[in-house]
Order: sequence, then structure tokens, then C-alpha cells
Amino acid sequence: MPGQVASGPSAWRRLFQPGTGGDTSGASWLVLLLFLGPALLVFGAMIAYPMARTIYDSFFTIDDPDKPVWIGLANYVTLAGDETFRRAVLNTLIWSVAAPVLDVGVGLLLALCLFAKVPFTRFLRIAWFTPVLLSYVVVAIVWLWLYNYDWGIVNVMFRAVGLGGLASAWLGNPHLALGSLIFIDVWKWAGFNMVVCLAAIHSLPSEVLEAAELDNCGWGGKLRFVIVPLLRPTLLNLYILAFVAKMKVFDLVWIMTQGGPLWSTETVSTYVYKRAFAWNTFDLGYPATIASVWFGVVIVTVLLLNRLLRSRERVEF
Amino acid sequence: MVSRALGRGGLMAILVAYTAFAGFPFLWVGTMSLRTTTEIAYNHYGWPSPAHWAKFRAAWIDSAFNTYFTNSATVVIGSVAVITLVGAAAAHCLARYRFRGNRLVYFILFSSIILPPQIVLIAVYQTLVEYNLYDTLWGLGLVYVSLQLPLTIYLLEGFFARIPQDLFDAAKVDGYGDFEIFFRLVLPVGMPAIATTVILNFILLWNEFLFAVVLISDDELRTLPVGIQRFMGDHFQDIGMIATGVMISVLPVIVVYAFFSEKLIQGMTAGAVK
Repeated sequence: MPGQVASGPSAWRRLFQPGTGGDTSGASWLVLLLFLGPALLVFGAMIAYPMARTIYDSFFTIDDPDKPVWIGLANYVTLAGDETFRRAVLNTLIWSVAAPVLDVGVGLLLALCLFAKVPFTRFLRIAWFTPVLLSYVVVAIVWLWLYNYDWGIVNVMFRAVGLGGLASAWLGNPHLALGSLIFIDVWKWAGFNMVVCLAAIHSLPSEVLEAAELDNCGWGGKLRFVIVPLLRPTLLNLYILAFVAKMKVFDLVWIMTQGGPLWSTETVSTYVYKRAFAWNTFDLGYPATIASVWFGVVIVTVLLLNRLLRSRERVEF
Repeated sequence: MVSRALGRGGLMAILVAYTAFAGFPFLWVGTMSLRTTTEIAYNHYGWPSPAHWAKFRAAWIDSAFNTYFTNSATVVIGSVAVITLVGAAAAHCLARYRFRGNRLVYFILFSSIILPPQIVLIAVYQTLVEYNLYDTLWGLGLVYVSLQLPLTIYLLEGFFARIPQDLFDAAKVDGYGDFEIFFRLVLPVGMPAIATTVILNFILLWNEFLFAVVLISDDELRTLPVGIQRFMGDHFQDIGMIATGVMISVLPVIVVYAFFSEKLIQGMTAGAVK
């Protein structure tokens, strides 16, 4: 699974073994090179090298691409006192912790609705999945309109039921903007989690569910004591997957709010983009520093999350 | 009995409400794509009558959506083809051959799936500028290949490793060489998995925005997501035409979805299902 990183000494040892493939005759290096070479070339040139270069760049001021100026750790010192960066990290963390809980939670509930033998299951599953296929650009444009103060459906509906007082500038109010964006995120991804959860529920052993039925276990009990524990690996996986994806969030924010108002929706991605390409600061060194630090944060978080969630799983089973 | 019926009714209400919630925004844009901005300003939630189909022609030709569409199609189809071939070859190699470092290569490729794109963004930009690939579809395509290659290899490796070894032994007895085995055994047998990755990569790259906005500046070379965003920046008030542009950009995805919904859902969730 993406997001699941091998851990523990045995996993490390396995890395240096020759693999589990069935071909034991030992193919010639030429054949291996022809099969694996192109992929390694792409990986080296477009992933490994740029990664190393970004980290290298972070020690320079690069106003003029031909004459980078070595400044040591100065960028890192500046970054440590950068209020906007701190705000961006906080927003991104809120987003990556909260949104996956909602994504997976809503997805699971939807999957349970479809599992309760309702008509048109096939149609509903396909309809609910549609937002997953739309690009963030399209989603952002549509929701800019849906959130419109005067004629957006959200405010129109509040006014129609006499709650006009709740009608708000959803993206213009610094207290509401981040929540409004996360809401869209859940709208987009709930269908994805629904499909995965539904597949997992269908693959549960039916005897267990029948036994729960015989024990007169209500829906709440069945959910809490049977379904969720059995789905735990799937749910954790979905959570980690979503968590990693949210740490990269850019498109939605950039098109809808550009990080505003008052940095209330600034994420690390939008801040890097602003410093590198949108502001007239003409320096690629500082954004490279932000990217490098964030890279470290992502790696450490994923490893920690993985360790934490997996060890809990081990204790309980 | 009554509570059961009530529960049933509540469940149905939830289903209807969520379907409206999930589907309304898209259908609404659909209606707006057929109405003029004046009509929309009069009533934002009206039915398109008469339906202005000519708006699609106007967006396609006058607003350069044909250019954006062609650019998107070129770069996405080209990179998906390369990703599939290169990825399948690497996946086959990792799944079938024993050699020192096999698992290490696999682990490194697999780990790069979690990398935040910013860590390569700035340096990729610098590198493409140095090699005169900045602001070209070739450069963007190359980046797209690198973006999706690790996940593709990861998914295909998992599938290829489950092809029974007997098939390979039989092929060897028949005198197949390494490359014949790959082209005449692995690719045909692995077709379902390959189709899944093709769909996944197509949709993700068709919707890709960050690298497209950084690496392309010439209006003639913009892909659809960036084209729409710029169009909206320039014609903020022209809601009707923006909606038409949005529909043009999602149409290929929706058409494919209408015919192959199961395969598409399977493709999109391939990375999450065990």
C-alpha cells in the first residue's frame, strides 16, 4: 500500500535479499538493464536528482539562476522565524488530520447505507463516486459559485428556510474559509472511501455478521463490535493514504482563495509556490528551504503514523 | 414494525439527500453550460430553454478550448503510453527476476510515492529551463511520466508477481526468450491490471494542475486545467462561458465513465484496495 512503509529489523534485512521472483536461473545483467533501466533513468533524472538539488539549493540565495550565492543555514534561520510558514504548517496539519477522518467516516457511513440492501445500489454507487473524477480546478470553480454570497446555493438555502442570519461569505471570512475548503474536500473524496469500504464490507465473512444478527446485536452494536474492528486495516490504510494526499494540497486552495483571507487557508504548497513563482522575490533558494523542511516533516510523520497505528493494531489483535 | 418502517424511511431520505448533494453541483454546471450569462444572471437555477448548444462551438473555437484540449490530449496520451511500457517492464523485472538489490530498488521506488511534489518542483523547473524543455509539452510529458511511474510499478508488480510460475516455465520450454515472455505472455495476461493503471494515470494526469501551471507559460501550450483557470481569471463575470469550458474539460472523463464505470472505479481505487 502506498503510505505503508516497511519497518522493523526484519523488513530492513529483507531489502537486501534478492527478491522473491520465480526465476532462479539468474538472468543476464543486460536483460535486467533493458527491463529496469528506463524506469531507473526516469527515477534518477526526474525524482532523485531534483530532490537532491532542491535540498542543495536550500543553502543558497538564487536571484540569478547562473550565480547562486552560498549563504549556509541563513534560509533555515529565516524560516524558523517565518510567521506565514508557521501558519501554513498549522493549516496543512489541521487539514491533513481532520479531512481524512471526515473522508473515511462519511465514506464508511455511505458504504453501510448501501450495504443495508437498498434499491438502486449500483446507480447510487456510481453517482456518489462522480466527484472523485472531477479535477480540482473544476471542483474549485463550481464551489466558488456554490459559496457565492448573493446567489450561491448554500446561502440561498439558508435564506429559504428562514436562517438568513447563517448566510455567510464562506471564503471571505478568515474564521470560516479553512473549514469551507475542507468541506469541499470531503465532498470530493467521500465517494472514493465509500467504494473501498463497501468492497471491504462485502468481503467480510458472512458467518460473523449472521452470528451478530443471531445475538440480537443492533445496528449500532454490529457497527461498533463487528464491522469497524474487522475493517480496521482498510480504514487505517485509507486514513494514511488520505493523510499523505492532504499534505500536498494545492490546487483547490490556489484557485479558490490563494491562501487568503489573512493567511487563513495558506498551506505549505501554496506558500512554496508563492515564494518561488508568484511573488516578485526572484529567489528560488528560500522556497527550496521550505520544501526541504516540509519533505522532512512528511517523512517523519508518515513513519510515526505508521509505527503508531501498526503497533496499536498489534496490541489489540 | 413502525420503528423499522421509520428507520427505512430515514435511510431512504439520507440516500436521496446525499445523491442530490453529490450530483447537484455537476448537473448545475451542466445546465449553466447551455445558458447565456445574461440568462444565468436573471435566474441562477433555471432550466436551459432554449438550450444554447452554439456556446460549445464558441468556447471550442473562439476561446481556444480546442488548443487546450489538444494539448491535454497530446501530453496525457503520450505520457500514459510511456508510463505503461516503462512501468510494465520494470514491474515485470522486479516481480520475476531474482537479483541482488531487487527489493531495495522496489522499496526506493515505492517510497517515492509519498514524496510531496514541492521537493522536486523547484529543481525540475530549473533543470527544464537549463535543457530548453521549460514551456514545452515534451518537458511537461517527461515530468508526468516521473509523477506516475512509481505508483504504476507498485500496482503492476503486485499483479505480475501473482502470475503462476508454471506459465513462465512452459513458455521457456517452448523456447521463448526474455523479451518474448514479456511481450507475448506478461502483457496479455496482465492486461486487466494494465488497463486499470492506464485509467488511473489518464484521469490523474488529465486533472493535473500544479506542474502544468509552473512549467507552461505560453498560452498556446496550456493544458485544460490551466487554460480554464486562466480563462476564468480573464473573464471572471462570464459564468456561462466558464461553465461551457468546464463541461468541455470533463466531457472525456464523463463519456468514458458512462460506458466503463466499473472499470473506472476499480482503476481509481486500485491504490487503496488490498
